[in-house]
Amino acid sequence: MTGAGRSRRTVVLLYGSLTVLALVWLVPVISAAMISVLPLAQTRAGWWNLSFADVTFGNFARAWDQGLSQYVVNSFLITGLSVALTVAAGTLAAYAYARMAFRFKATTFFLLITTMIVPVQIILIPMLPWFRTLGLNGGPQEYLGIALVHTAFGAGWAVFMLGAFFTTIPEDLLEAARIDGAGWFEVFRRIALPLAVPGIVSFAIIDFVFVWNDLLLALTLLGRDHQPLTVGLANLQSPHLAQDDLVAAGSIMAILPPLLLFAALNRFYVRGLFAGATKG
Amino acid sequence: MASRHATAPSVQQEAARTQAPPPRPRAARRAGGRERYVPYLLIAPLLAIFAAFYLWPALVTVLSSFFRWGLLRPWSPVEPERWNFVGLANYSETLTDASFWNAALNTAIWLLVFPLLVAAFSLLVSILIWNVARGGAVFRTTFVLPMTISLAAAGVIWSFVYNPDPQVGMLNAVLDKLGILGADWRLGPLELRPGAWLSDPGVLDLGFADIRLTNLALIVPAFWVFTGFGVITLTAGLTAVSYELVEAAKVDGANAWQVARHVLVPALRGPLVVVVVVSVIFALRTFDIVYVMTEGGPAQDTMVLALLLWQQAFAFLDTPQAGLATAVAVLLSAALVAGSYRYLRQLLAGRPR
Repeated sequence: MTGAGRSRRTVVLLYGSLTVLALVWLVPVISAAMISVLPLAQTRAGWWNLSFADVTFGNFARAWDQGLSQYVVNSFLITGLSVALTVAAGTLAAYAYARMAFRFKATTFFLLITTMIVPVQIILIPMLPWFRTLGLNGGPQEYLGIALVHTAFGAGWAVFMLGAFFTTIPEDLLEAARIDGAGWFEVFRRIALPLAVPGIVSFAIIDFVFVWNDLLLALTLLGRDHQPLTVGLANLQSPHLAQDDLVAAGSIMAILPPLLLFAALNRFYVRGLFAGATKG
Repeated sequence: MASRHATAPSVQQEAARTQAPPPRPRAARRAGGRERYVPYLLIAPLLAIFAAFYLWPALVTVLSSFFRWGLLRPWSPVEPERWNFVGLANYSETLTDASFWNAALNTAIWLLVFPLLVAAFSLLVSILIWNVARGGAVFRTTFVLPMTISLAAAGVIWSFVYNPDPQVGMLNAVLDKLGILGADWRLGPLELRPGAWLSDPGVLDLGFADIRLTNLALIVPAFWVFTGFGVITLTAGLTAVSYELVEAAKVDGANAWQVARHVLVPALRGPLVVVVVVSVIFALRTFDIVYVMTEGGPAQDTMVLALLLWQQAFAFLDTPQAGLATAVAVLLSAALVAGSYRYLRQLLAGRPR
């Protein structure tokens, strides 16, 4: 784009405005990061008076010891279980929706897709009694309970996104395998599944971020011992307690896992979101 | 987006057409006969979970909204002897309740401001990024980065930025330097008090209603988190703009602004609709940011519908308000489905076949 006609001033202006916007964009994260590694007294005098001599990781250690460790473990348990369930059940179903004909296909697909729009609140209120009826409350089975709810709510995205990836596989490939005498399971496992792996990874990342970041379901459905980091952070956050240092350390812990995943697999993440966003 | 659609699938169709004989996949599969049970087997696990943890509870929500009940004695479809049928009373009570309309007004502010902010800012950023020759990916990553941050964490992080003490909060430190911290301006119906972001930064008096600017202070962090979605969608849409078209416009003497206005923005109509619709869905569901930053306060200044119904159901367990909460949930969901019905139809039109 920067052809010969482009004046130097325009280029400087472009990069200048983008750089300023990007820096402003990062200020909130930088604030939290700085507050998390500075002693509280230092923060009180303005974290931007950078004094790197005082940098400490003591805040993280104290936050960890004061109960955040359990929240972190819970976050990983809930997210791992939810993503595994959603990906497993979602991949099978998406393959059927993308590649097979059956009765009630359109109706069930429509119902699944509504989860992308209807708010969680529509199921939230009767959920606690329902958990009690199913015996999913008051113990480690709560992990399974919330994972099942996350799976139900991820169902729309799963069949939609994963289905889009399965649809791109050329029919000839599958047909060739069938002619060679492969059964449906062989076709699925040896040809469709390997080709859809990038799509499955994208979906798994997006689902990971989504479940990891959930506050509402966890806050409502889980007992104290099983709550994830988002709830822990909300509990920690209180204007009356002077513990900015701990809160900041907690917030950094909460944003790091999805951020690292995002950094490592950026291409997958963007591609997945893009497939979900613009297929319509 | 339209052009993306026109190009991508047509290549496949072209390939399929040139291969003789044209495959009739469905017919071929049906001929398999014995394997007709397979699709049902494949969808069974997901549909079972979906039915048990979405369809059934949603149905209970709708049914129980016609009864009076509280969570200490939950409504149950199998215990008719405990039913307290009230007809549409939960709805009429909700629709005549001042706190419902207050929350509805604040939700309306979200609905209006949030999608506009997201669309305008991501449009600006995407066009800027499209114009730079190098480093576009780095800028894009920067703006997309907050998307991975939970709204709960974003609320906490922005509370630091908003901290009223200019020794602690970055924003007020800047205002302090500029000498406008603690100012109290009146501009007609608008009152502005920069500094007290989460308690009372000002109010816009519309005559029939007061718009509390505290809501804007909550919308900004949500916008910060969500804009990445707009940037991804719009930058992707811009890749479909043909280079020749832009060059032709330039040859005709169009300047950068005219190119953006008459070539880029029209090409982005489809992606912009997606961004706005998804932002509207996001705005109507708003819960986390408000819960973490203000819990709907001070007073009820930042209460939104999603938080109101949650408090009705869960914060006051001893009063039988769960019926009211279900009514609000049904109204909220109905509004969402009605508002995004066309989008849903579009999604279905583009579904995997």
